[in-house]
Amino acid sequence: MVQRLKEVDVVIVGVGMVGSIVAKELAAAGYKVVGLERGEARFTVPEFQSPAVHDELRFDIRKALMQDNTREPVTFRNASSETALPVRRWESFLPGTGLGGSMVHWNGQTYRFQANDFELATRTKERYGKNFLDKDVTIQDWGVTYAELEPHYDRFEYLLGTSGKAGNIKGEIQPGGDPHESPRSREYPTPPQKEHFQGALFRKAATSLGYHPFPQPSSNLSQPYTNPEGVKLNACVFCGFCERYACEHYAKSTPQTVILPVLLANSNFELRTGCQVQRINLDSSKKKATGVTYIDTAGREFEQPASLVITASFALNNVRMLLLSGIGKPYNPQSGTGVVGRNYAYQTMSSVAAFFDQDVIINPFMASGASGTLINDFAGDNFDHSGLGFIGGAFIGAVNTNGRPIQYHPVPPGTPAWGQGWKEAVVKHYNHTVMFSLHGSSVSTRQNYLDLDPTYRDAWGQPLLRMTFDFPQNDLKMAAYVTAKGVEIGKAMGAKLVAGAPRKAPYTTTVYQTTHNTGGTVMGNDPRTSVVNRYLQSWDVPNVFVIGASAYPQNASWNPTDTLGALTYWAIDALKNRYLKNPGRLVSA
Amino acid sequence: MVFLLALGASVIVAAASPKAGPESAKRPGPAAAVICQSCHGANGEGAPAAKIPRLAGQSADYLDKQLRDYASGARSNEVMQNFAKPLSEADRAEVAAYFASLTAPSIAPNPRATDSQLARGRQLAQQGSEAERVQACDNCHGPDGSGVPRSAPYLAGQSADYLAAELQSWREGKRKNDAGKLMSSVVQRLNDADVSAVSAYFSSLGAE
Amino acid sequence: MDKFSRRKFVATIGAATVAPASALLKAAPAEAVAPQQMAQRGSATLPAKPLYLFFNLAEAAFIESACERLIPADESGPGALGAGVPNYLDKQLGGAWGSGERLYRSGPWQSGSPSQGYQLPFTPAELFHVALRAVNRNFESQGAAFGTLSAEAQDAYLKTLEAGGVDLDGVPSAVFFDMLLRMSIEGFFSDPVYGGNRDMVAWRMIGFPGAYADYYEAIDRHGEKFAREPMSIGEDALRHVHIDPNIPASL
Repeated sequence: MVQRLKEVDVVIVGVGMVGSIVAKELAAAGYKVVGLERGEARFTVPEFQSPAVHDELRFDIRKALMQDNTREPVTFRNASSETALPVRRWESFLPGTGLGGSMVHWNGQTYRFQANDFELATRTKERYGKNFLDKDVTIQDWGVTYAELEPHYDRFEYLLGTSGKAGNIKGEIQPGGDPHESPRSREYPTPPQKEHFQGALFRKAATSLGYHPFPQPSSNLSQPYTNPEGVKLNACVFCGFCERYACEHYAKSTPQTVILPVLLANSNFELRTGCQVQRINLDSSKKKATGVTYIDTAGREFEQPASLVITASFALNNVRMLLLSGIGKPYNPQSGTGVVGRNYAYQTMSSVAAFFDQDVIINPFMASGASGTLINDFAGDNFDHSGLGFIGGAFIGAVNTNGRPIQYHPVPPGTPAWGQGWKEAVVKHYNHTVMFSLHGSSVSTRQNYLDLDPTYRDAWGQPLLRMTFDFPQNDLKMAAYVTAKGVEIGKAMGAKLVAGAPRKAPYTTTVYQTTHNTGGTVMGNDPRTSVVNRYLQSWDVPNVFVIGASAYPQNASWNPTDTLGALTYWAIDALKNRYLKNPGRLVSA
Repeated sequence: MVFLLALGASVIVAAASPKAGPESAKRPGPAAAVICQSCHGANGEGAPAAKIPRLAGQSADYLDKQLRDYASGARSNEVMQNFAKPLSEADRAEVAAYFASLTAPSIAPNPRATDSQLARGRQLAQQGSEAERVQACDNCHGPDGSGVPRSAPYLAGQSADYLAAELQSWREGKRKNDAGKLMSSVVQRLNDADVSAVSAYFSSLGAE
Repeated sequence: MDKFSRRKFVATIGAATVAPASALLKAAPAEAVAPQQMAQRGSATLPAKPLYLFFNLAEAAFIESACERLIPADESGPGALGAGVPNYLDKQLGGAWGSGERLYRSGPWQSGSPSQGYQLPFTPAELFHVALRAVNRNFESQGAAFGTLSAEAQDAYLKTLEAGGVDLDGVPSAVFFDMLLRMSIEGFFSDPVYGGNRDMVAWRMIGFPGAYADYYEAIDRHGEKFAREPMSIGEDALRHVHIDPNIPASL
């Protein structure tokens, strides 16, 4: 028995950061907006208060803030030749849920991509020739340039209050910042967070090797800040419970701390939580969405009619929503036809551990999610790849976020996994080790993709998303290369022992890496190789917009969030100033 | 003698303060602490009605920092600056450690607190308030405001009048020695009623 | 399996239920603490045996000995037994985690590649019961017990389990071993409210300060030891940790 509700102007699937920003802008412009969130409402007070929130078992190990994998996991296989099986426990990636989405429990690492990334196919060919890439690599241009996105990056960073040091303001290199960054129009809204000891050691070593260290841009703020929406944040106290946790201090930039107070005060917006959207409904022409169907926590089914449907439910869920709704042609890797699910990519993570003497006291538990010092000298296309046989790179940094002991107790290679030797090594090295992160790019390939699983279903009876992915050779070579550079930096830090751990194949879902899943509803100028146009509007159903990192044709060397924020404001601009005034295709096919 | 004359009214108030309780100092204090005791009490129990804070059992590093800040002017109080300036670094550490070691029983809570004040204070202390966007005091000040060494002083059992005066100082920007403006950014969101409530609540908790 | 009523259990450990901190403050400090809750700080005395709600006696015997080999007592401090790791396992396995919280439990079940992770139908509770029954039966059939072996022999046995290839009535021994090791590390390093890391011995051993974590000023003191007693989620103003062993880390 489906209950049909009163039509509204806009329905948004997912009220995370993207959904919150879109809803706020459209509600403020006078449109009636309904936001449907699968999870529950939660706020800094009371849900995020400590000490209860500083519970490593609950939030790190049991994944308390994550999407309920017992009802809605994904299935996974490394290659099409295998049978995909359910990811029965989240480990490698941790999709969020609840009001505010994943940005409630993110780390706050806030990086822009570089100009080169948005035209990766064109520029790679220009610089290295058209035969440089492996044959199965399917990188492409985005259809939007960095210059077009710059004002929107700026707007998003000022919404968050991001703490950092600019490296390039309108073409002028700024001391103390990242000289490799693409030009920004002005400084960060707040100065960088304090540098911890690990960062200081890294900076000294990197400088001695001729690299260009700079402070990690952090949305755990360095000082109190009032954003352009009038919402105030506090300074972060480096508690070391950042990723996978919510912040009790109003110091991490999340929807709750930057925009929800404004959104929720606008009567044009209605928030409905506990609503599991089943599909976007289409009319008989299949070229127009009529709204969405959802099921609430009591199991009641509703149809929410709307003139405009926006799916903002995280990259993986966006892809699945289009597949379940029959929007766009699903990608088939054998025939190479179709687009939905194509160009799925991830992040290629490696690490380096630098072990010091007992007199070097690191205090790893003093950190924010984005404190640290890093270099971009080996990220993106910031170095000459001639003769190296791969494209892409990684940022390399002393950016460790915590010392939470269930997961963080580094020991040198060769230490036994348990027993006396293990315990001794844990005690010896816990407070005397610096872990580097090498945060590497991820090219897309013909064989890495997303589609619907033929066997396994979610609790509502719908097919699960199936993920077929393994690390391309390109990225494995990149990982080996950057890890060697990282080891050199470790040695220059004066560590007694340096151990590099470059990412190796096969990709496994059993070890945490990142939740930077990208692609599947790629943006572009050509409907043969993209699902949405450059404004994130569906080529097939013009009144559906798909806003998420699912738009990325491939993933760059940095965390996806800042770029997603920029794309969101970019899409909102097109929605408010063009689409909503005159609904229709914004780009002719 | 010059010091005692300068104290003037404070000395009289100290003499008239509520009974300090049984002798509980663990050891005779350092010479430098004698002058402190004349206002802050023989056992560091403070003089709540005069807004002279309780020092007994306060974390040594907090006391040390406050003395340092008084001496430099980072925390402004003319009376305290006069006492803090002459202290050497060693004196300061000794005085701080001494008062940290004391366990004076707490002085009776503020009789003017109402039940609803205490309830509101408890809510702010343990949970915070989303409407004011204020987090729980206990996040930093420890379980029921009992203090977190090397991070934040105890509030439990502290003089309500002193707490309220300090909160007011943070709010007005007169007190500035909070790293990261952690205190001022929180307190700016509290109104007068909340300041009274939270002060009354913490003062009503017996200190160790 | 011996079952103890919860009421009896709670009564035995006295004031174990979590009470609002301010109420406890009003009580005089002397009487509030039950013996099982409060080992002397840094003392080497082993606490009394926990009351097992999940493990039967034979299972508990194996678990206690095995966990102590995984994380042994040594000069740096207590091991699994001293830290209450068996108690942690007992309460987790007997609670929501044991019965399959956070585990997608629909079939069909097929074994997959290592990249595809856990694909067995067993909940953690089922897995432990089945595996332990098989382990104990093996020992009984030889007239032996894991607990009476020498430390070296115990380690050798655990390594056989770890290496895999031993079928424990359908539970691959490597999967059982992996779960046992992971949960032992959790029990060692998690907040004491969950029944392990008793008196925060593990945190003190490595210098992790625990749940109260404001380092705004301390972060500037590069290379300086942060000397503070660890603090638990469950401690009150008198620094007594209130363990409710019946709490699993549920969501």
